[in-house]
Amino acid sequence: MKVVTGVVGNDIHVVANRLIDLSLQARGFEVFNLGVNTYLEEFFDAVIETGADVLLISSLNGEAEGWGREVPLLKAKYKKLDDVIMMIGGNLVVGTGNAEDIVPRYEGYGFDIVCHQVDLNTGLDSLEAMIKERHLEVRNN
Amino acid sequence: MSQEKLLIDVGSTYFKVSTKNSIEQHFRDFNKSILDDLTHKCGQKLEGFDKQDIHICSSANGGLSTLIIGVTNSFSLKYATNIAFNSGINIIDTILFQNIEEYTIPSDLIDVVIITGGINSNKDNFSDELFHYLEKLSYSNVVFVGSELDVPTIKENIENVVVLPNIIDDRLHIVEDSLKNYLTNLYQQDIEGKEDIKDLYNITDNQIFSTPYVVNKTLPFIDSKYSVVNPFVLLDIGGATTDIHYSKDLVDENIVTENEYDRLVFKKLGVYKSKQSLIFAAKNNEFVYELLMHLKVTENIFEEQSDKATKILMQLAIFLVLCKISHYKKAYVNLKLLSVNSFVLTGGITKVLTAEEIENIISFFYKKILNSEHNPATVLDSNYDIWTLGAEGKETCQ
Repeated sequence: MKVVTGVVGNDIHVVANRLIDLSLQARGFEVFNLGVNTYLEEFFDAVIETGADVLLISSLNGEAEGWGREVPLLKAKYKKLDDVIMMIGGNLVVGTGNAEDIVPRYEGYGFDIVCHQVDLNTGLDSLEAMIKERHLEVRNN
Repeated sequence: MSQEKLLIDVGSTYFKVSTKNSIEQHFRDFNKSILDDLTHKCGQKLEGFDKQDIHICSSANGGLSTLIIGVTNSFSLKYATNIAFNSGINIIDTILFQNIEEYTIPSDLIDVVIITGGINSNKDNFSDELFHYLEKLSYSNVVFVGSELDVPTIKENIENVVVLPNIIDDRLHIVEDSLKNYLTNLYQQDIEGKEDIKDLYNITDNQIFSTPYVVNKTLPFIDSKYSVVNPFVLLDIGGATTDIHYSKDLVDENIVTENEYDRLVFKKLGVYKSKQSLIFAAKNNEFVYELLMHLKVTENIFEEQSDKATKILMQLAIFLVLCKISHYKKAYVNLKLLSVNSFVLTGGITKVLTAEEIENIISFFYKKILNSEHNPATVLDSNYDIWTLGAEGKETCQ
């Protein structure tokens, strides 16, 4: 299964990005890592070019808050992204905030899985759970 | 017979003939073929050289037009556009495949259509909409450089399609060689294929190259002729086309890495054969009337046939080219013009304008468009040394 990942916006947290890449590979995913300082359009374009099933965006300095708002508008311009699992994780706000407020906000932007200050492995467990769930849904339909 | 070399450059308006000690320039007689004209004007000189000692390059009506169809702006279209521009190709338009039905069909004949999209493990990047679009389009060549899993469908539906390796690798990086070679050869064949140019093989045993190719090869050695301060932009404004060559340091976006200098060819920007399209472009530029005032003329100058009118047209050409490569016009490339240290001018323009007249336009451009007092040095290659150096260098490479 193909995953496109990278760090959104002007964010250079390369170590976290590398850890996500390695963890995904260890779980058997084929990873397309766009690295740090990646723009939203590049994420979506990479999904189109690779035919990826999952888009995993990370953000460590809270820039995602600004970029997240752009997601619905930009995603609407693409015709082949409807079945892609959209996941975002890291530190998703500038300053402090609690997950009860933050998660619904990002779900509203169109993300299927939102991991604010959640341990990487826990986040990837939820990704695998969603993949299984979607496969079951497809089979049942 | 002499062992000296005779170098000939055929442009759309002039041809130049150069030996070790002399260089001459002749206005072309359009009632004659190039060979007849050349023989008529320089017959005696030609007789003094063996066929293997005559080297010819041509830029007459050079440049191919292309339409690029890709699946995303950030990868397939961006990569193909970069490769095409660096191969001397003029981009007519780029089409994002998912919206292909919304694009109008260009009325002109397209020299080459480039189709690209998807890494090799991704299939079904294209569908019937592509084939319907191509059915309505007039083109001479079509090349596919996308996912190899899509090749069977593409071959089945597009007649005479040339299939080359994907320009996107499995890490989403650019792979430029195959498409670049294909386009460069197509450009070369286009020049050679012109009836007039084919005739020239009667007087030379050597391959005829495109002039921008020869000039681009010279740039790393330009210091041997002029004290040019890097980074620089070279403008070759001719009768039919304008070529620009620039240091790679002046761009952030360019991803083609092989050469230190890039080149672009603007096909319909020249002061003789492309005069009308130059005037059209000028009239559509909001700053041009201010520029005409600055030069103390009115737009009536466009109707005149005089030395002054030619000078004004050349000054306009400089201004329009600078606009095309600045942030003022969103185009393929926006150069970091505030970092330019020198402008080098070559081609027919150096015979008409003085350094002061060129500097006047460049400083007008910087003030009006870039709002800056930046003042790069101007270098005039009025004796065609850059071309001569390139032509000689090319010949030593062979």
